[in-house]
Amino acid sequence: MHRNAIATLSLLLMSLGATAETIEMKVNGLVCAFCAQGIEKSFRKNTVVTDVVVSLKDRLVAVEVSPGKDIPDQELHNLLTDAGYDVNTITRTQTPVADIRARLKKPTS
Amino acid sequence: MKRSSWCAFVTLIALGIPLRLEAKPIAFAHGTTVMAEYGAGTMGELQIFYAPSFNYSLGGGYLALDSAIDGSSTDITYARLNYLAKRWNREASQANVFVWGGIGSANIDGVSGDEFAWNAGVQLDYETRRIYASLKSDLHESSEFSHRIDTLQLGFAPYKHDYDTVATWFVVQGRRYTGEIFDGTEVALLLRLFKGNKWIDVGATTDGKLQAMVMLNF
Repeated sequence: MHRNAIATLSLLLMSLGATAETIEMKVNGLVCAFCAQGIEKSFRKNTVVTDVVVSLKDRLVAVEVSPGKDIPDQELHNLLTDAGYDVNTITRTQTPVADIRARLKKPTS
Repeated sequence: MKRSSWCAFVTLIALGIPLRLEAKPIAFAHGTTVMAEYGAGTMGELQIFYAPSFNYSLGGGYLALDSAIDGSSTDITYARLNYLAKRWNREASQANVFVWGGIGSANIDGVSGDEFAWNAGVQLDYETRRIYASLKSDLHESSEFSHRIDTLQLGFAPYKHDYDTVATWFVVQGRRYTGEIFDGTEVALLLRLFKGNKWIDVGATTDGKLQAMVMLNF
């Protein structure tokens, strides 16, 4: 019984550890979709990035990285600066980019 | 845009100061921009630039000027360096100062052989998701001519576009030429659409001539 509980807990922790991490960045200057193409292009070149979403309305760039991977803040700053923008805040969440994309598509009341 | 900025624009228009406002000469680091413009029968231009960094790009272009005054034409081929001198990124706006310079050769009506030519320019722009404004002055000179094309564009978006939607803008353009190309101010009304890496401006001048521009980033 005790061994089964430990095994279950281990599997649960492994599962949590495998959850993809999403990095959400609030970006200043994000007003033109045509000009912001460079952001998506830069992040998609990064091998640990699996998905990218950009929202002008929310001034948001969110990237999902492979399980167990991360991109250091300094590298995130460099990527956005090279695209011509300034980073305001960086936060890490467990919300998949697909969920963020779905949330962004919902009409605002 | 602040009221004082609007007043400055209106004042510049009222004074007839030649200005030019349009797309940015640098897209993003490691990006290539291709642009073609047809300007109401008085000018046509093709440009291609590659940006090794977000703050400069290198490339070249071809500019054809056809005088509406005496019918003469000047064709200029040039290499150019564009430099982003200053950028202000704010939460809901962006403003830029670009400068550029280059050298090339010109073929001029009535002059045998090609002439050495040089060019220089400056562009100031400001945009939010609803308002766009840019002032551009582009000078081309040789021992035989001095042509400056100054353009002002003021744009208004009827809705706020997003990254994955079509952007629609209504743009008023005023353009002045020096060097016996066009007398007075050429005013055009344009519809601007862009989505993804494609951009198109199409419209007409107030005397019914086509004004159009297409641009691609990749």
